[in-house]
Amino acid sequence: MATTSVLLPGEQIPPSDLPPTKKGTLTLGPNLRHLPPSTILTTTSGSLHTDPKKAALWIDAPHGRYQPSVGDLVVAQIHHGSTDTYHCALTPHTAYALLGQLAFEGANKKTRPKLESGDLVYARVKTASKWEDVEIECFNSSTGKADGLGPLKGGMVFNISPAFARRLMMGTDKEGRSKGGVVVLEEVGEKVKFEVAVGRNGRVWVDSGNVAATLVVGRLLMGCDEKGWSVEEQRREIETCLRPMF
Amino acid sequence: MPSEPAPSTNEREFILAALRENTRLDGRALDAYRPISLTFGNDYGTADVRLGKTRVLAKISCEVATPYPDRKFDGIFTITTELSPLASPAFEVGRQDTPELLLSRLLEKTIRRSGALDTESLCLVAGQKCFHLRATLHVLDADGNLVDASCLALIAALLHFRRPDIEVHGEDVTVFDPREREPVCLTIQHRPFCVSFSYYHAGEVMVQDATLLEEQCREGEVVVSMNRFGEVAQVAKYGGPPVDGLSVLGCMSAALERVKGFDKMVTEKLKEDEKRRDAGGLMAELSAENERPVEGGDRVML
Repeated sequence: MATTSVLLPGEQIPPSDLPPTKKGTLTLGPNLRHLPPSTILTTTSGSLHTDPKKAALWIDAPHGRYQPSVGDLVVAQIHHGSTDTYHCALTPHTAYALLGQLAFEGANKKTRPKLESGDLVYARVKTASKWEDVEIECFNSSTGKADGLGPLKGGMVFNISPAFARRLMMGTDKEGRSKGGVVVLEEVGEKVKFEVAVGRNGRVWVDSGNVAATLVVGRLLMGCDEKGWSVEEQRREIETCLRPMF
Repeated sequence: MPSEPAPSTNEREFILAALRENTRLDGRALDAYRPISLTFGNDYGTADVRLGKTRVLAKISCEVATPYPDRKFDGIFTITTELSPLASPAFEVGRQDTPELLLSRLLEKTIRRSGALDTESLCLVAGQKCFHLRATLHVLDADGNLVDASCLALIAALLHFRRPDIEVHGEDVTVFDPREREPVCLTIQHRPFCVSFSYYHAGEVMVQDATLLEEQCREGEVVVSMNRFGEVAQVAKYGGPPVDGLSVLGCMSAALERVKGFDKMVTEKLKEDEKRRDAGGLMAELSAENERPVEGGDRVML
């Protein structure tokens, strides 16, 4: 994966920037459009990323709202319940996503979790289509296991940008370095105990049992998102934030 | 009808628990404000106030109109507030809902009914002609504490505004163009500012300058308007559980400190703006001469 250039909407991807392919097929990611036979246009501004191994390319845009796609992990807020579903808000002022009342680990009619309006759940997007309501679920439907999904109790939710949420969830490479360039969670986790659930819809749930530690994690995440700290700056900020706690 | 989405139970409980420990989400003290910035536009009578992420733009305009028949010696002064979807999708165009009504009513009480603006000085010919002064507030971004930001913007804009100069001969009124005669300031008798307090835990915790999230979790609010001499224009408390009388008195003294700060800031910013506009006296302003480069690099006075 390598960053090559910044493009504006409607620009054509220069052939020199395309990743080499064996079979002659390319995989187009978000914010790109194919005009047959061989034109590739951008649909938004952002930096072009390519993955030579997968012959994939995509535009990484720091702006924009969250749009659900299948498999995304999200932090959803219950708005109201009906006979067999909960209506949940993924982002404010958009249509509600549906969460089945039995879509939890080990749930049946008698043991299903009772959720109230305003409660939070960590869920996976099951279906996302242009014409229907988005459906989410709190368990893996093939194994029936929760896989860490389910109701979120206590703690605090912080709002971050969807692009930063994606960076947080990129994981680490073989040498153990963060692919997204965010080390806040790992570095703070060495000193303070906390639980975290990152939602692709731009919401992070943090719970460490006490107010001060939860706030430190939340403030560091939001600061990193808004100010665009580099890894070095993040380490410096973490040190200054954690010093008064020990 | 769209409305602001309610915060989740987790957020509400966390904010209340944090306030018990005298902590706020953004690390401010309970009585601290977010960074305030006040800028003036190129036209007279535009003020832009930013309070953290909240942003309010005030614009003053005036025209000649007929005074109300029951107030022959007074000019007309109206305040309009515009909460548009630009600020938040929860606001609708053209609908006057509760927050907008409360905001405009508070501003009316603070500025109009306290006699901050001398409306008699806006009268031109008694019973026939007067200035109609219009103050329009545009909320550009809403992240809590709209009242304080709007009031600050309105007072700053009124102080910044210049109305056209006039000359009255009997019943003939001449209104001069700004190019003919320098426009004149309004007569402001005092400068009231609003300071709002949100309270939690039955009035035990009082918080100044609440953000939108803190406003959504509060039990009630107390809005105090006063000028820098401690003269109270109004105190408002809309519903919510009762508050101890002593803590309201505490609000008063805290508001006085805050208002003194606002007053000082507005004075300083107005002075800065005046300095920026000052071209260097009348002669420099009237000079039609262009700057000419002269050989050798120095300019010569002709």
